Amino acid sequence: MRLKDKLPLSYLLFTSRGRIHRATYWIVSTFIWSTFYVLHTALHDLVGVWATYFLYPLLVGSLFATATKRLHDANRSGYWLLAVLIPVLGPIWLFYQLGFKKGTPKINTFGTVPDEAADYFKNDTGQLIPNLNTKERIINDVTQLNPVVVAEVFRPLSVDELRERIRSTTGPVSVGGGRFSMGGQTASSHSLHIDMRGLNQVLDFSKDDRTISVQAGIRWCDIQRFIDPHDLSIKIMQTYANFTVGGALSVNCHGRYMGHGPLILAVRSMNIVLADGSLVRASRTENPEVFFGAIGGYNGIGIIVSVELDLEENLAVRREYYKLTRPNYRTYFADSIRDNPEAVFHNGDMYPPSFTNMRAVTWVKTLEKPTVKTRLMPLRESYPLERYFLWAFTETFFGNWRREHIVDPLLYLSKPIHWRNYEAGYDVAELEPRSRTKRTYVLQEYFVPVRHFDEFAGKMSEIFNRYHVNVINVSIRHALPDSGSYLAWAREEVFAFVVYYKQRTSEIAKNEVAIWTRELIDAAVSVGGAYYLPYQAHATSEQFHRAYPNAGKLFALKKKLDPNFRFHNVFWDTYYERL
Amino acid sequence: MLRLPILTVLMVLVASFIFLRKGRHSLTIPAGEGCVVPKDWLVSNPHPVTPVEHIRPADQTFLTYPEWFLVHSPAEIADYAHVKTTTTFPYVSHIKQLWQSYSVVYDQIKGSFPFNTGYHIMIWVIGVSTTVEYAMKSLYETIVGRLTNPTHGEVVTDEDKFNARFAQDYVDFIRVSPWYEFDFASRIPALLSGTSFFGTHFLRKCDRKYMLLTELLVKAGYGYLIKLGTKASYDEALPTTAVIIDQLPTAITTGRPGSVSPTKTYADGSALLLLPRYEAFHPAVSALAQQGVTFREIAGNNSALLLTVLAPATWQPASPDFRLVFTQPILTKPGLKRVALVTQVKWLDKTVRFVNEQGVKIEHVYDY
Repeated sequence: MRLKDKLPLSYLLFTSRGRIHRATYWIVSTFIWSTFYVLHTALHDLVGVWATYFLYPLLVGSLFATATKRLHDANRSGYWLLAVLIPVLGPIWLFYQLGFKKGTPKINTFGTVPDEAADYFKNDTGQLIPNLNTKERIINDVTQLNPVVVAEVFRPLSVDELRERIRSTTGPVSVGGGRFSMGGQTASSHSLHIDMRGLNQVLDFSKDDRTISVQAGIRWCDIQRFIDPHDLSIKIMQTYANFTVGGALSVNCHGRYMGHGPLILAVRSMNIVLADGSLVRASRTENPEVFFGAIGGYNGIGIIVSVELDLEENLAVRREYYKLTRPNYRTYFADSIRDNPEAVFHNGDMYPPSFTNMRAVTWVKTLEKPTVKTRLMPLRESYPLERYFLWAFTETFFGNWRREHIVDPLLYLSKPIHWRNYEAGYDVAELEPRSRTKRTYVLQEYFVPVRHFDEFAGKMSEIFNRYHVNVINVSIRHALPDSGSYLAWAREEVFAFVVYYKQRTSEIAKNEVAIWTRELIDAAVSVGGAYYLPYQAHATSEQFHRAYPNAGKLFALKKKLDPNFRFHNVFWDTYYERL
Repeated sequence: MLRLPILTVLMVLVASFIFLRKGRHSLTIPAGEGCVVPKDWLVSNPHPVTPVEHIRPADQTFLTYPEWFLVHSPAEIADYAHVKTTTTFPYVSHIKQLWQSYSVVYDQIKGSFPFNTGYHIMIWVIGVSTTVEYAMKSLYETIVGRLTNPTHGEVVTDEDKFNARFAQDYVDFIRVSPWYEFDFASRIPALLSGTSFFGTHFLRKCDRKYMLLTELLVKAGYGYLIKLGTKASYDEALPTTAVIIDQLPTAITTGRPGSVSPTKTYADGSALLLLPRYEAFHPAVSALAQQGVTFREIAGNNSALLLTVLAPATWQPASPDFRLVFTQPILTKPGLKRVALVTQVKWLDKTVRFVNEQGVKIEHVYDY
């Protein structure tokens, strides 16, 4: 952890690195002077005049440090503080520079725009194990609940390098990208862990055909930056842009898009490295079994190295909402949203703990001017408000009630207009708590045929309340049927129930989650639905096969393409029939 | 980083609390709550005999106090600068005395006279300017000046001596003329040529040169602007104060040299005199009072009149001829206090004789 995060105030007051905004400078200056006055008076009156001299190094140090940071903000070196030596003009100029001059709007010699992160939140490249002299590393995912010791981390920079490594070795292999799955899908004990984030190039782009070919280690945010100047937007992706494309393909993700569904619907073709190191091209017509086995296939049959994706126009979209009760949602959705050509994003949020009131949020196409200054979502260094709300909703009395009746109504007062790319550019960092050691936020997801929405919602609500699950949010999304992937979670038109909840990290708490998760899976399967696989592997093998009846086909394909069971991770270690 | 704003608010609250409590009751001590002057003293003269061009509003005897405090205060600085460097001068307490006394004198006239907008604006302009000046000086002296200050604050460097001289010249000047007429600019070459660059207390010399240069440059510029502003908004002030006395003293009737000759005499023996205004007014008044003269009107007014005296801290005056308004300790001269008295024009001679008998020095008579 950096000093900046560990001791933010000391970092601000006593280091001259980085940049600060005008507002921060005013606040911190007020703080410095008022503190100096209080301490000076106290020491003077209670101890003696001599004692006040101890304050001077602190005063001068903090004034110097904060002023230097402020000068940096306008791309000036701290040496400009010497201007104070010129009588009258120097102090006036400095006063203007420090208190009023706007900072440079972009990254400069001295760092990024204050409070703006340089990049999306990233997971580490494998933690070192103290005092261990091997290449072993701990690979964990964003929840920090699934640490796995791997034999070595390998980060290929070219496809050939990757193929060579696969060809020349025989042991187990696990593959990871952004590592935002939440159940160990990116690691396996003592495997060779391949970190795909080095393969992050754009290979081909056609503005006219609206397609882009990219390496699988590229992140969605990188693609957004590339295509945004061409007024194009990714056809299907998830809301958060930190993830790598390869990871999103392996879980066959979805977003909040209307009229779309699983990511497979926006994939034209891909290249995949098989267990023997061979490179295979796959599409719906060329090697279709590889295509349908690899997408949503959790790296079972090979490593996806590149992919060709569909793009769409980058439109401005305006947020609208409608408050309603759960029994009215299906009709509302069917009548007003499902076939509405203007609707671009949609989600329905259910308020815990009763899950009877909902807020349906739809972003519709608009020709109005966006209300945000930037075309892509600016990244922030910290999300104190988001963090506070998450804490308040989950840890305080009536937190949920306040959210439903006070906070959300205020947040939804405005009618923001964003770009399509902007609205798909969220940073996972906004969900990050201060610490994940005692409690952590986790996702789960259930897919239910649209006609069984009410039945499943009732069962879900009953289970959550019986187990006192600390649910933050249940968000409803819609998806059209999958085009044929073996582990398709949308075998017909479904509603996705995205559950975001908080849990403790003790073993007892983890077991408790496993118990109610299995009940929820039964509830989903009983109405012909499924649960989502990138999360913790709590489901029994029997539940897994009932939810994914075509899993057998994928297992057979894996047997053929990966006869030595090289591609491992928690998913395959749990459910694959070993030879 | 929500902690910083919260801490800042807390520290500002604590600092304000300490600042406002300090010297709340000890820097300016009012004689009582609100108005302590009898209401029948607070009236304008309905039928003034004084010619109209010499008449000034009756409430101005009170409102000129804050303005004059800004002469008393530099006078105190000048006295102090001869013995000690001004680094340890209690600037902040003087800011407080200024605003506290403004509040006390305003309490006396509030409700008895219509609001004198022009005068209040002028007080605010000079009050805020002085507050900023003193606050900056206090800040600078606290973080720089006190670190370079010679032991016991002795006036040893050329620059500190220059400062003492400058402070004295300045106060002598503003006793008779508006401050903005002072020639600050010509002091700059005097500062640079009259002091050596190197020498003992080298840091002190640099620090003082920087500070004095800044002060002279800022005051020269600000004075120029105020001069333009004053010319545009206020009429040129008369340099005299018209008084009507009941009878001419023998010194005048016999035409003794140095005495003021009457501008006009009236049938009942009373006479109109034009006395010098500002600093020279109170010596002239004292001289007349000693000759047994009684005043009927001063600047057309026959009601309340404010005067301040400098007295030992133990002095407790009492007389039916005046009321005590407030006292202020002279912070740089322990044992001495400023006492503000209010009398009526007709009793001014008695009051002046009373204080003279007590051996107390009149600081100023506020001639409207």
